[in-house]
Amino acid sequence: MTMVLVADDSETILLLMRTRLELAGYEVTTASDGQEVVDRVAEREPDLLLLDAMMPRKSGIDALRELRAGGCEVPALIVSAHQNPNDADAPTDLEIDGFVTKPIDFDHLLSSVADLTAS
Amino acid sequence: MAVIGVGRFIQKRQDFEDSIARSYQVEMTARVRIAQGFGGAGARRVVENQSEHRQELRDQISSDTRDTAILVAAGLIAGLTGALLLFSGLIASLRRPLEALVDAAGRLASGDLSARVEVGGLSETATLGAAFNEMADQLQAEASQREQLDRLKDEFVLTASHELRSPLTSVQGFAELLMLERDTLTPKQVETVEIILDNCRHLVRLLNDLLDLARSDAGRLAIRMRPTELAPLVDEVVRTMRAQTAAADQTLEEDLEAGIPTVSVEPDRIRQILVNLITNAHEYSPEGASIWVRSRVVGDEVEISVTDDGPGIPENQLDHIFERFVRGDAGLTQRVGGTGLGLAISKSLVELHGGTIEADSTPGEGSTFRFRLPLRPLAESAQPSPATVDSSP
Repeated sequence: MTMVLVADDSETILLLMRTRLELAGYEVTTASDGQEVVDRVAEREPDLLLLDAMMPRKSGIDALRELRAGGCEVPALIVSAHQNPNDADAPTDLEIDGFVTKPIDFDHLLSSVADLTAS
Repeated sequence: MAVIGVGRFIQKRQDFEDSIARSYQVEMTARVRIAQGFGGAGARRVVENQSEHRQELRDQISSDTRDTAILVAAGLIAGLTGALLLFSGLIASLRRPLEALVDAAGRLASGDLSARVEVGGLSETATLGAAFNEMADQLQAEASQREQLDRLKDEFVLTASHELRSPLTSVQGFAELLMLERDTLTPKQVETVEIILDNCRHLVRLLNDLLDLARSDAGRLAIRMRPTELAPLVDEVVRTMRAQTAAADQTLEEDLEAGIPTVSVEPDRIRQILVNLITNAHEYSPEGASIWVRSRVVGDEVEISVTDDGPGIPENQLDHIFERFVRGDAGLTQRVGGTGLGLAISKSLVELHGGTIEADSTPGEGSTFRFRLPLRPLAESAQPSPATVDSSP
């Protein structure tokens, strides 16, 4: 089964994402900060990362940067509360497969997840 | 000088008159002696001499009179000149501080709040200068306070709209989750969830609009221009919007001039402006209304207009139509779900592209909103850079 790692510092958002992704047939594992993301990737080897850009302690961006530096090539979507994520926290030096804005358009998100995990 | 000269002249004149009188007296004595037969050649000579003597005295006094007149005239001229010099000195000592004041006031009025004058000179101008400086100090203090408040407001709006997104994501997400199981809900429950979702969408629009305006105010609404074909963009927006207009039995027609050149714009922002204008036409017009979207080249600009045959906008509202939270009279329709910010944002966006936007309307016949974008590629300076905006006073 395809596994998606979802990271957000809000328990409610995690529950929402988990519910929608599980309904769509994915296995879901969660993390509530960047360090947990790094740990969880090593433990569970997910097929896709869905990371909130802003989390306390270590952000999704920083966690992804650390993972990429360690050779991790798992596709990653960055979730951002910015309306136009390119404005704010899009690092140009990092391989990111897409942005998702809050509030989340789940039809759009699920089709992106399907595309990125299809190969 | 002149006074002494005149005094001396008066003395001389007195002496002259005495001498003349004496001369006549001597002559008369001589003539009496001649008449009495005592006067010989000596007495006649006296008479002649006295006549000559008087002539000399007269010549002398007339020369003195002339000299004195010249002296008096010279004195008058010197006095007047002196008075003039004194007066112009006074004027100059007034003028310099006044000119400095006028100059400083001009700079202050044009926004240079650091303009001050040197306090000095006459006590009146010194007082005026000190009062001016005090006023400028107050203005500067107030301006910096206002700037700080503006910055706080911008930061607050940016942070607030950001922070509100997470809970909004949850509300909307869970309401959508409920709708996934709408088969198990009663019609009343479905209606309730739909209301929640409608309001979520409205909140999202409001947040997006507020964020755009806050960014625009803070000079952080950057646009990324790239060469864009306008016709397909307008066509795409019109096709998307037809779903909404058709639901109100409104027709949405497009009339795009052929051969519009490629323009340098941010396509998403032009789409946003167009959606705002069409949404307004749709929401403020009754069922069955017609909306036209037209595009054409006018001089060195491309014009895009949205016209409706709705109720129109009264003149007193038209003047403020691009201001924030100004909405038209929605009496005719219940569909108005906008944020009241769309036109204000559209105006900011058009201006960021170096263009202009305007509205005209005939109450009872309809309204037209049109914006024009320059066909020439914009210079780099048209795009505000946060660094320069943030550091400006």
